[in-house]
Amino acid sequence: MSRLRNPWGRPRFLALITGGYILWSVVPVLLAIAFAFNNGRSRTTWQGFSFRWFTGETGSVLHDPALRDALTHTLLLAVICVAVATPLGVALALGLQRWRGRGSGTVNSLMLLPLVTPEIVMGVALLLLFLQVFGGIGLGTDAQAIGQITFTLSYVVVIVRGRLVSIGPEFEEAAADLGAPRRDQFFRVLLPLLAPAIVASAAVAFATSIDDFVVTQYLSSDASTTTVSMLLYSSARGAPTPALNAIATVNLMITLLSLVFAYLVYRRFAGRDEATSIATMEV
Amino acid sequence: MEGEIRLEELCKKFDDFVAVDGIDIDMPPGEFFTLLGPSGCGKTTTLRMIAGFERPTSGRILLDGSDVARVPPHQRNVNTVFQSYALFPHLDVAKNVAFGLKYHKLSKEERAKRVHEALELVDMTDFARRKADQLSGGQQQRVALARALVLRPRVLLLDEPLGALDAQLRKNLQVELKALQAELGITFIFVTHDQSEALTMSDRVAVMNQGRVEQAASPKAVYEEPDTVFVADFLGVSNLLSGTATGADDGACAVQIGDRTLRARQGATDARGDVKVMIRPERIGVEPHANSGEERMPGMVERSVFLGSAYEVHVRVLGGELLKAMVANDGSVAETALESGAAVCLHLPPDALRVLTMSGSEEQAEQQGET
Repeated sequence: MSRLRNPWGRPRFLALITGGYILWSVVPVLLAIAFAFNNGRSRTTWQGFSFRWFTGETGSVLHDPALRDALTHTLLLAVICVAVATPLGVALALGLQRWRGRGSGTVNSLMLLPLVTPEIVMGVALLLLFLQVFGGIGLGTDAQAIGQITFTLSYVVVIVRGRLVSIGPEFEEAAADLGAPRRDQFFRVLLPLLAPAIVASAAVAFATSIDDFVVTQYLSSDASTTTVSMLLYSSARGAPTPALNAIATVNLMITLLSLVFAYLVYRRFAGRDEATSIATMEV
Repeated sequence: MEGEIRLEELCKKFDDFVAVDGIDIDMPPGEFFTLLGPSGCGKTTTLRMIAGFERPTSGRILLDGSDVARVPPHQRNVNTVFQSYALFPHLDVAKNVAFGLKYHKLSKEERAKRVHEALELVDMTDFARRKADQLSGGQQQRVALARALVLRPRVLLLDEPLGALDAQLRKNLQVELKALQAELGITFIFVTHDQSEALTMSDRVAVMNQGRVEQAASPKAVYEEPDTVFVADFLGVSNLLSGTATGADDGACAVQIGDRTLRARQGATDARGDVKVMIRPERIGVEPHANSGEERMPGMVERSVFLGSAYEVHVRVLGGELLKAMVANDGSVAETALESGAAVCLHLPPDALRVLTMSGSEEQAEQQGET
C-alpha cells in the first residue's frame, strides 16, 4: 500500500458529488426562470427573449388582474406579517431570555414547536380554529395574516434570542452602572445592539410569509385572497402561460433579495457563520 | 472623606449554592482594596453585590454609612470597570465616556469638558472618535476606566480588569492604576485571582475562600503573617509541614515533625496538637550535609530549577515531605551541591517558622478527604 492517496490533494470525488447535486437542484429553477422570458406562449420551447410576460399589454404580471392582485395580496400579507410578528417576537424573545425559573424551559421548547410542526397540521388546526372558535374573524385576509404570524413569530424569537445570548447581560449592566434606568438600558444600549438581528428577522419573516402556501391556502376565502403561491398551484394544471413563470420569478427574487439583505445586515454585526445559519433557516 | 464601604454579614445564595457566606469587611475611604481568591471563592459575587447587579440574600452594604443593599445599580454612586470592559460597540470612545453624564445635570460645554478631562487622564484623547472595537485590549481598558471615572464615583469597582491583557501590559497598567488611584484618592475595590497583582497594588487585601474572608490585612501582613493555612498556601510559594505542637517555651513553640523537633517563633505559638508549620522558600537555608543539628533537617535534592537570579531547590527531607528552597545565584553555594541526589541539610530558623492551626472549613475538608 505504498500508493496511498495524497491526503493533501483535493477530494475530487466529493467535489463531483457536490457539483452534481447543485446542478440537479438549480437547473429546474433556472429553466423555469428562463421561460419567464420566452417570447411565446410555450413553457417548453424557446421562442426568443422578451419581457412580455412581465410588462406586456395582455396576460402579463403587470396587466393581468388575477396575477397582479395575487402579487399585491402576497405583499400585503407579508407586510402585515412583518409589522406584527417582528415587534411581538422581539418582546417575546426579551421576556423568555429574562425569565428564569419554573416553566421557562418548557415555554422555550414550545416556542420551537411551530418550526417543527408539519405545516399541513398547522393549517388544518388553524382552519378549525377560525371556523369553530373565532367565527367572528372568519376566513380571509385577517385569518391568513394571523395564521402566518403564528409561525413566523417563532423565527423572529429564535433569531433575536440567539443575538441576545451572544450579546450577554454585561452591556445592560454597564448601562445600569453608569446611571441609566431600565428604559434607557433598553433604548440606548440593547435596542441598537439588537438592531441587526431585528432587521434580519424581519427579512426572514417577510420571505417566510411570501413563500407560504399551506396555511395561507387553508385560511383563504375567495379569489381576492389568492396569493402567488396559491395561484401557481391552482393554475399549474390549467392552461399555463409563461406569465406563471414570470410571477414565480418575481416571487423568487423578492424572497432571495430579502434573505440576502438579512444575511448582509447580520454579517456586518455578528459572525459570518451565524448570519449564514439565519439566512438559510427559512429556505 | 467619602467612599467608605462596609459589608456586614453579607450573604448570597444561588439556589443551594452559597456564593458568599456572611462576610464582614471594612473598606476604608481612599484605599486600594483588593479581594483576592481562587475562582469560585465569591469575590466577584461580592463585587457585583456592591455594584448592585446581584441582590444580597441577607446582610448590609453600607456606603458611607447608609445601607444601599436594596438600591438599584443605576442609583448607586459607585461605578464598575468590567472584566470584558463592556464598552458599547455601537458608540465611539467619546460617546462611551459621555454615556453616564446624561444622568448628571450638566451643560453641554461642561459635559464635553468632563469627557475631555477623563480621556486625558487615561491618555486616550487621540482616540475619541474611534469605535470601541477598533481599539486594542489595553486601550479598551483605559476607555472603560475613563467611562467610570468621568462620573466621579465615590467608589470604583474593578473586576479583574487586567485579566485579558498580556503580561508586559499588565505590569505597566498595574503601576498606572495604582498611581491613578493615589492621585484621585477614590476608593478602588479590585478583584483578582493573581496574588502578585494583589500584593503590588493594594493598600489592603482580603483573601477569600469558599465564600468567606480568610484574612484581611496589608499585603505584607497577608504574605508574611498569614492567619490560615489557606492564605499561606495561596500567596506565593510556601512550604507547609504537618506536625504536632508540644508546647511553648520562651515564646517558641516546639513542633514535632517526624523524629525531629523544630522551634517556631511565629504564628500560633501557644497551640497544641495537630498543626501546620509554614516557611517561605526564600527563608530556608541550604547547607552542606555535615551541618546537621539544631534547627536543621537533613534531606536529599530531588531537583533544582534554574530561575536566573536564583535556584528553586526541591529537597525531600527525612520523613518524606518535599520542601522548596530558594537559593540565590550569587556563587555562595556550589552548583554541584544542588545537583539532584546531593545530600544537603536545610536550615529552618525559628524566626521564619510559623505555626498555623487549621480553620474550621479546612479541618472539615481534610476530614472529608480522609474518609
